[in-house]
Amino acid sequence: METIKNSEIFKKFSGIAASLKNSEIENWKKQGGKVVGYFCPVIPEEVFIAAGLLPFRMRGTGSTTTDSADVYFKTVNCGFPRHTFNLALIGEYDFLDGFVANTCCDTILRTADNWKHAGLKTPFIYCLDNAHASGELMVGHFHNQLLKMKDAVEKQFNVEITEQKLKDAVKLCNETKLLQQKLYELRKLPNPPITGSETVAVMVAGMSMPKEQYNKDLKILLDELGTIKNEKVYSSRLMIIGCGHDDTLLCDIIEELGGIVVTDQTCFGTRTMIKTISEEGNDTLLSIAGYQVLDVPYCPKTIGTHPQRKQLIMDLAKDYKVDGIVGQCFISCDPWAGELYLLKSELHEAGIPFIWFEREYIPDLVGQLRTRIEAFLETINQI
Amino acid sequence: MINIFSQLMTEANKELFGLTLDPQNASEGPFVLGNGDFFIEIPVAFGCSFSDLTLTGANGTALPDAAELIDRGTEVGVESRLCSAIKVASHYLTAGLIRTPDMIITSNSCCDAMDTLGNLMNGYKPWAHIPRFAMDAPHSFDDASYEYFGKQLRQAVTFMEDVTGRKMDWDRLKEVCIESNKQGQLLLEFQELKKAIPCPANPDLARQGTEIKNWTKDRISPMVTTWLEQLVSAAEQRVKEGKGIDGVDEKIRFLWQDLAGSWASGTVLKRLQTELGAVCIMDYVSFGTWTPIDLSSEEAMFTSFGKRFLLEDPMNRQALHNTELFCNDILQIVKDFKCDAVVMPAHISHRDTNSRLKVVKDMCREKGIPCLVLGIDIWDKRYMTPDVAFDRMKTFFEVSGLLT
Repeated sequence: METIKNSEIFKKFSGIAASLKNSEIENWKKQGGKVVGYFCPVIPEEVFIAAGLLPFRMRGTGSTTTDSADVYFKTVNCGFPRHTFNLALIGEYDFLDGFVANTCCDTILRTADNWKHAGLKTPFIYCLDNAHASGELMVGHFHNQLLKMKDAVEKQFNVEITEQKLKDAVKLCNETKLLQQKLYELRKLPNPPITGSETVAVMVAGMSMPKEQYNKDLKILLDELGTIKNEKVYSSRLMIIGCGHDDTLLCDIIEELGGIVVTDQTCFGTRTMIKTISEEGNDTLLSIAGYQVLDVPYCPKTIGTHPQRKQLIMDLAKDYKVDGIVGQCFISCDPWAGELYLLKSELHEAGIPFIWFEREYIPDLVGQLRTRIEAFLETINQI
Repeated sequence: MINIFSQLMTEANKELFGLTLDPQNASEGPFVLGNGDFFIEIPVAFGCSFSDLTLTGANGTALPDAAELIDRGTEVGVESRLCSAIKVASHYLTAGLIRTPDMIITSNSCCDAMDTLGNLMNGYKPWAHIPRFAMDAPHSFDDASYEYFGKQLRQAVTFMEDVTGRKMDWDRLKEVCIESNKQGQLLLEFQELKKAIPCPANPDLARQGTEIKNWTKDRISPMVTTWLEQLVSAAEQRVKEGKGIDGVDEKIRFLWQDLAGSWASGTVLKRLQTELGAVCIMDYVSFGTWTPIDLSSEEAMFTSFGKRFLLEDPMNRQALHNTELFCNDILQIVKDFKCDAVVMPAHISHRDTNSRLKVVKDMCREKGIPCLVLGIDIWDKRYMTPDVAFDRMKTFFEVSGLLT
């Protein structure tokens, strides 16, 4: 294969990432399956899979306005939940049988309340109280919160989530993570067979369709990628960090300008697959809690864990031989803004070129972004 | 009676402000710096100085050069829409103006901006060597959550002991809690007296009393208890005499459902009271439930601290928990304090409140309670000036039929 763009699997993933509804979900629903939307990777999809549900990662793909949502969320709030909620208000999320928000930030945590108030016909609405610091005590508390969520899911969907079902779900999701790790390994090559934009599509698809099918498809795609000989020369290898990243905007700009995005620290990227969940022990829910609280405290809302996030970014930068890092933060996202502010001087000291900016979730000033990134790439290339 | 609290508050804040901002300040005992005030009784009993950097930033927005401080905070470059109080705190921090603490204790409460400040404090390079402790404030309000946070506070005590080599004097902690309970009870009594029509004393004294109790250098001291006793006693007398606030012809009673911030009390709320007889009967700092700290065991005491912090700290109650609790509080306050209207200041950086305004407005409409959403910056009067806020509120009272 000459390029991934010829791959039928990639075309499928790309199509799934580009819209909310897809044929995989339609087939799932036709067979009587139910779908649960969830906002943030700290909400463990394993619990829904163990309940026989299809987890769908919430996003605002395709949104062009927040006209309806602005009545619920003022424009001082982040665009990510506003656009996503707007899509729900206009019926684009009617395929959901459940919606789970969490306490990851001041805006997202209110989406569950607003979802209820708006009278959206989603039978199951829940808000998970996730941990905001990392430690053994927090694992215990988060475990209790997961038990509550598990009970609520069981009651709503009239299912029993057994220990074996949870183990199977973790195994399935771990397989996804390992396959995605292989995908990322390919990006370490001097001439990666897959671009940053293409990787975003593959990652987003993994949170929008049944895992079993995704894993099968991803294996095929990995085989195909192994046959691609990419000889294109890139001006620089970049990493993207920050919030969201369910769209390809930044990657598109960077890659149109001759660079390539080779890795990331975002919550649609490495945050979801950099580590696997332990399959040992007799309390899988506790293992999930431990994984979320201790192993991947990579959200800046987890107070006191900046050193872990910084270390991860430094490690990724080294492993993927990046020439520079681009940070993005949605306007009104205080936690990520603080994180990027800290990283600015730390990356400077480490000798890693870094640029960061605030942007709207659905960008309206693409030209400005392009100009800034272009200038950044020129600076890197002069070093 | 009226002015003494304001004066004491100003003096007490000045002292606390100096403690945090003066790098040369060498007050006795270790200095603990936090991004919020989450364990009031503990540092008092431990005999250490405690300062909340958020409050220091908020105090900065009340200074004559507030606008310049906020602008400097913006120039720090964290986030363009970051809370102005946090911007000032960020400026103080990054300009090296904050006294170097002996330890840093941070928590995720109670809003995204305060979390961000906590991360900035934890990541501030000159303080890299300083021991630190982070706590998780859950967004649930049940016994398990109070116990969970209480356990973290107990761990914080151990941390403080480890850092300082001192030991907590548990008898002293009990004494402090007894005093704190007395003060909570007095604040509740004053809250009860505010229900009288006309309101016997400037309701803002409840806010100032709460601030003195919780957030000043003299927190929980017997001196504060005496102040509060005087307040309650004087208010009781005025209720008996049927007297209202001096110089105010009370016509409208309204709820200000947010923090008052640094400029509203002395400008728009004062004008509304004196010019229109529109009395802000309650705000979200004055409102408290003040459940007594349970002293029956160490565990019970810490669980009580957890509850006080998670459910009864004004801003935590506002920001951490669900909209149902928020709305129930509004209805309860309106009913108990016979409010004619609800004003939602909707501080622009309170993302949580700005995400629930429709629910509040719909509820108020359904219950027939006039409701106004302002959309101000409670720390920066340039965003919406006091005069504009006054005009909007006056018009609102007029069109609601409350002011003829």
